[in-house]
Amino acid sequence: MSKVAEIQEMVAKGKTKLIAGLVQEALDGGSQPKEILDAMIESMGVVGDKFSAGEIFVPEMLIAAKAMSKGVDVLKPLLAGDASTSLGTCVIGTVAGDLHDIGKNLVSMMLESAGFTMIDLGVDVPANKFVEVAKENNAVIVAASGLLTTTMPALKETSLALKDAGFTVIVGGAPVTQAYATEIKADGYAPDAGSAVTKAKELVK
Amino acid sequence: MLTKRQNLKEVMTGGNPDRFVNQYEFLEIIMEMPLGVEFRYGETWKDQWGITWQWPEGQLGQFPVHDDEHIVIKDITKWREQVTVPPIPMDAASWAAAKEHADRIDRNEMYVAPFYAPGIFEQCHHLMGIENALMALYEEPEAMKDLIDAIVERELDFAKAVVEHVKPDAMFHHDDWGSQINSFLSPEMFEEFYLPAYKKVYSYYKENGVELIVHHSDSFAANLVPFMIDMGIDIWQGVMNTNDIPKLIKEYGGKITFMGGLHSGQIDFPEWTPEIAAEFVEETCKTNGKHYFIPCLTSGLPMSSFEGVYDAVTKEIDRMSKELF
Repeated sequence: MSKVAEIQEMVAKGKTKLIAGLVQEALDGGSQPKEILDAMIESMGVVGDKFSAGEIFVPEMLIAAKAMSKGVDVLKPLLAGDASTSLGTCVIGTVAGDLHDIGKNLVSMMLESAGFTMIDLGVDVPANKFVEVAKENNAVIVAASGLLTTTMPALKETSLALKDAGFTVIVGGAPVTQAYATEIKADGYAPDAGSAVTKAKELVK
Repeated sequence: MLTKRQNLKEVMTGGNPDRFVNQYEFLEIIMEMPLGVEFRYGETWKDQWGITWQWPEGQLGQFPVHDDEHIVIKDITKWREQVTVPPIPMDAASWAAAKEHADRIDRNEMYVAPFYAPGIFEQCHHLMGIENALMALYEEPEAMKDLIDAIVERELDFAKAVVEHVKPDAMFHHDDWGSQINSFLSPEMFEEFYLPAYKKVYSYYKENGVELIVHHSDSFAANLVPFMIDMGIDIWQGVMNTNDIPKLIKEYGGKITFMGGLHSGQIDFPEWTPEIAAEFVEETCKTNGKHYFIPCLTSGLPMSSFEGVYDAVTKEIDRMSKELF
């Protein structure tokens, strides 16, 4: 097995303590940083698909994302300034009044693993904050979530404000459906973190 | 007409119930437990474990704060230095309110059911954030098992006190184990970490006069039902439709009873109407039938977030009882 293929497998298995060393070995062996990064992104794509299919669970996805992040830390200085490695900036957060962040955090990690530069605003984020940060960072996409039925109006306000400002919006959360996403003029909806990656990549093409 | 307890027994044993068990009607939930669990609308506060909670105004519930400043366990390998497990008061005075409530109840009609929350899984992630808790199961399994043991020991102290002071004939125990579409953990991981913990707790209750274990998890958990049965759960409250309830009833009916089928998110929301409640109740009663099933909102207490919803659902279940029995 090549070193890059081994890295792919270890990312999928979430071997967080081994990845940095393996990435360094691959670099020392002549592999290009972009080649290693692409291999890890591909591996996380498979992880996301397996999660969407219910074949793996949240802990497996989390440690795979963490493993990839450890690998990216080694590559970062070598990739700095290489615009081809990023799909662009994504601003993410849960809407005003909502403190539930596990779904948002999973989506953030998976989007980062897919190649987006993430700006995570955390929880309970007002609509104007989403717009302000998206403008400041020239975001290619903004992801907003809400878990409670009582925060659906805040999700609507956020989506409409972002659309008015000209941004591409993707939404999610337990009470959110495709029909609701369409109603609030969001460009995309995803039922889970794996699907969010597919949808986000499709929207920024 | 059967009493509430008799009717429940018939539902749970596949006998001859004379009506649906209507939501929580058989459970007298004793909330006056000296657990330190608080529900403080619109406030931010710290609980006995040092966990900071927030309940924003206008929202449905509270949530632990897990930023760097507030999180209790910053490093799972050092949890013993970072967590002080709050003791359970054992003295009669601390239990007087619960005992007084329990003593007022006719146990021929109702099950006296002390409330316990959070459960073992939730306590782990309240202390350290859910992502950290879930990753620690892989990265530091021994430390997680030690933490789980400490949480179990505290609950066994609680169990000893509750048996002594309240003499419950049921327990109403909360622990959410999944999202709407899947369990958080794989069945294998659940079996390794949480099944043994729950076996210890629930078997203690069963050995000390508790007839019914009612466990709340308003989530998908169809893949965990064999473990629920193994650990001694009699009624899984909060079962969502995403679990394919008819299939579960067919497979496990007689070993466990499913209480739910009425998704609170679809019925108990700001724009609810009695017609929406009626439609969902009719559907769930007709779909899931008379045995091993209790129609109930998935919410973890006999109440609703929006005024009138719980009562509207109760009324519609009565209507379905008249129609179908």
